[in-house]
Amino acid sequence: MATSTLGRRSAGTGAAPARRPPRGLPGWVAPVASIGVPVAVLVAFVLLPLVFVGVYSFYSLNEMSGLMQTDFWVGNYREVLSSDIYRRVLWRTFQIAGAATLLALVVAYPMAYALGALVDPRRQGVLVLLVIVPFWTSYIVRTFSWIGILQRDGFLQDALGWVPGLPTDLLYSRAAVLIGFVHVFLPLMILPIYASVRNLDRRLLEAAHDLGSPPWRTFLRVTLPLTLPGVVAGLVLFFIPCFGSFVTPQLLGGTGDLMMGNVIATQFGEAFNWPLGAALSIVMTLIVVVGLAIFFRFADVDQVYG
Amino acid sequence: MVDHDVALREVTKRFGDLAAVDGVSLDIERGQFLTLLGPSGCGKTTTLRMIGGFEFPDTGEIYLRGEPMGRRPPYRRDTSMVFQNYALFPHMDIAANIGYGLRERKVAKAEIARRVEGMLALVELPGLGGRRPKQLSGGQQQRVALARSLVIEPTVLLLDEPLGALDLKLRRQMQLELKRIQREVGITFIYVTHDQEEALTMSDRIAVMNRGRVEQYGSAEAIFERPATRFVADFMGASNILDAEVVDADAGSARIRVAGAALTVSEAGLRPGDRVALMVRPEKLRLTAATGPDGTMADGATGWDATVAARVYKGATMAYQLGLPGGHALVADVANAPGGARFEPDQPVRVALRPNDAVVIRG
Repeated sequence: MATSTLGRRSAGTGAAPARRPPRGLPGWVAPVASIGVPVAVLVAFVLLPLVFVGVYSFYSLNEMSGLMQTDFWVGNYREVLSSDIYRRVLWRTFQIAGAATLLALVVAYPMAYALGALVDPRRQGVLVLLVIVPFWTSYIVRTFSWIGILQRDGFLQDALGWVPGLPTDLLYSRAAVLIGFVHVFLPLMILPIYASVRNLDRRLLEAAHDLGSPPWRTFLRVTLPLTLPGVVAGLVLFFIPCFGSFVTPQLLGGTGDLMMGNVIATQFGEAFNWPLGAALSIVMTLIVVVGLAIFFRFADVDQVYG
Repeated sequence: MVDHDVALREVTKRFGDLAAVDGVSLDIERGQFLTLLGPSGCGKTTTLRMIGGFEFPDTGEIYLRGEPMGRRPPYRRDTSMVFQNYALFPHMDIAANIGYGLRERKVAKAEIARRVEGMLALVELPGLGGRRPKQLSGGQQQRVALARSLVIEPTVLLLDEPLGALDLKLRRQMQLELKRIQREVGITFIYVTHDQEEALTMSDRIAVMNRGRVEQYGSAEAIFERPATRFVADFMGASNILDAEVVDADAGSARIRVAGAALTVSEAGLRPGDRVALMVRPEKLRLTAATGPDGTMADGATGWDATVAARVYKGATMAYQLGLPGGHALVADVANAPGGARFEPDQPVRVALRPNDAVVIRG
C-alpha cells in the first residue's frame, strides 16, 4: 500500500520538484493512513484481546465467592498441563481436525483441479463464485441444516434409507462432525489449490507427456509437486478453524466428540472459570503458532519454485 | 525405396470452420533437417503438434518409420518436442530435467547420471546439473530443453520455433550449434520457423506452407532459386516479381512480355498466351547507361529502359530503385567495384537480364 502510493506520486510528478505532495495533502498523511490504520485495527481486534486473555490466564478464582481475583498465579497452567482430561481432549481435537482436513483435501483437490484446469477460463469466475457463495450464509445456519439431514428419519434416511448397510442415522456422531467441518470450511481448501492449478503451465504437462509420462505419472511427477504450495496453504487454512471450533461438535457431535473449543466455551460460559478458560486458550494458540512455525520450516514451499 | 522416418498422407486438421492443415503430404528422409516454413497461421505448428501426438488429424494418416500413428498419445510415440518457451520443470534441477524421460523408461540411476553428463557436455553446459532452470539464461535453458529431448534418443526431434525468444546474436550462434548437434546425433529434425533466413541456414529440406498447404517442398537452394509459386518467391524475400504473358515459345525458351518489354527466358513447356510471373534477383540485374533503342545486347541479354528513382548505399552493393514503363518497379543490387559505373537519380538507364537468370513462376 505504502510503496504503491509513493511510486505513483514520483511517477506522476516526474522530474518536477518531487518533494511537493499532490493535491495539497501534507506529506505524512499517506504513510500514516496506509500503515497506521491497519496497525490500529490489528492492535484493537487481535493484539489487545490476546493480551486480555493472557492476563486473565494468570488470575485465580476465590474459592469461597467463585469470583475472579486479580493476582499472579500459574495454577491454571499447572492444571491444564497436568490434567489427563485436557490432554485427551487435545489429542481428540487433533484427530478430528486432522481427519476433517484430510477428508477435505480428498474432496477439494479434484474440484479445484477440475475448476482450474478443465473448465473454460471464461466460465471459471462464475463457478468460483458458487464455491464462495455458501460463505455468505451464517456458519451456524449451515451447521444447523445438517441436523435435519442427518437425524433419525431425516432427509438422508428418506433418500437413501433403502440401501442395505448404509448408515443414515448419523447425527451426534464423529461422522456428523467431520461432514459438518468439510462442508463449512471447504472453500478454504478449494481456493488456494484452485489458484495453484490455474497457475500451472499447461506446456509442462505436454512436456511430461512428450517425455513418456502417461497421465497418472504426469500427475505424480509434475502436477502434484507444482500445486503443492496450494495444498499446503489449504491444509493450514482449513485445519486452524477446525482446531478451534466449538459450534460444529456442539451441534452435530455426541458426548465423545467434544473438542478443546467446547471445553473452553464451557469454562467461560457455564463453569464461570475465566482464568482456566483463558489458560486453555493461550495453550491452544501457542500450539497452533508453534505448530505452524515447525510446519513451514519443514514444508519449504519456496523449494518448489527454485 | 528411400528410408522415411516420417510420412504424412493427406493430413487435414480443422479448428471449427478453419482448415489449419489442409491435405498435407510429406516424406521426410532419415537423418534430415527439415524446416516447416511459413507465416503465422499457416499450419506449420499444428502439423508439428500432430506429428508429436498433441493433436490428431481429422483425416489422413501420419507414419513414423512406416507405422501409422492414428490417435496414439505423445507418451507412446517415439518423438520428442523442444517447446518454444522451453517448458523446463521448475521444481527439478537441470540434471533431473534432462533425466526425466530416462526415469520414465526405467533406466538405472547410474546410467541416467552418466547419460545426463554426456548430454550436458554435448550442449556445452558441463557442471550445471545442480542448478534450477530459473538460474540459467534463456540460451542455456534452450540447450537444456534440447538435451532433455535428445537424451531419450527419439526417432524424430520436433522443434517449435525454439530460438524465437533469443536475441539475434544468440540466435545465429544457436542456429549453427543446432546444425552441429543434428549432424553429431544423426537424428531427423523437424523444425518450425517463420524466419526464412534461419530456414536457409539450417535446413536440408524446406517445406514452405501457406494456408494449411505445402506450397513447395525441396532443398533450400531450390526453394530460394526456383520458387514454384508467387507466394514462395515473395516469402523468400524476392523483391522483383512482375506479371508476364508468354508471347511465343519453342522447345527450350520463350519470349514473354513483361512491363512493356519482350524478354527471352530459358524455360521449357510454356505455351503462347500463358499468364505467368517473372522473378528476378536484384543481384542478377545489370545496369548500363541508356544506349540505342535496340533491346538486344551482345551476350543475348534482354531488358528494359528504366529511370533511376533512388539509390541506397549498402556497403558491398548499391541498391537502385528503378522505375519501368507502365508504373512497374524493380530493385537492382550492383556491386561497388572500384571504377565501376555509378548512376544518379532521374538518370535513364538500361536494365539487362540474361535469359537464364529470370525465373518463371507458374503458380
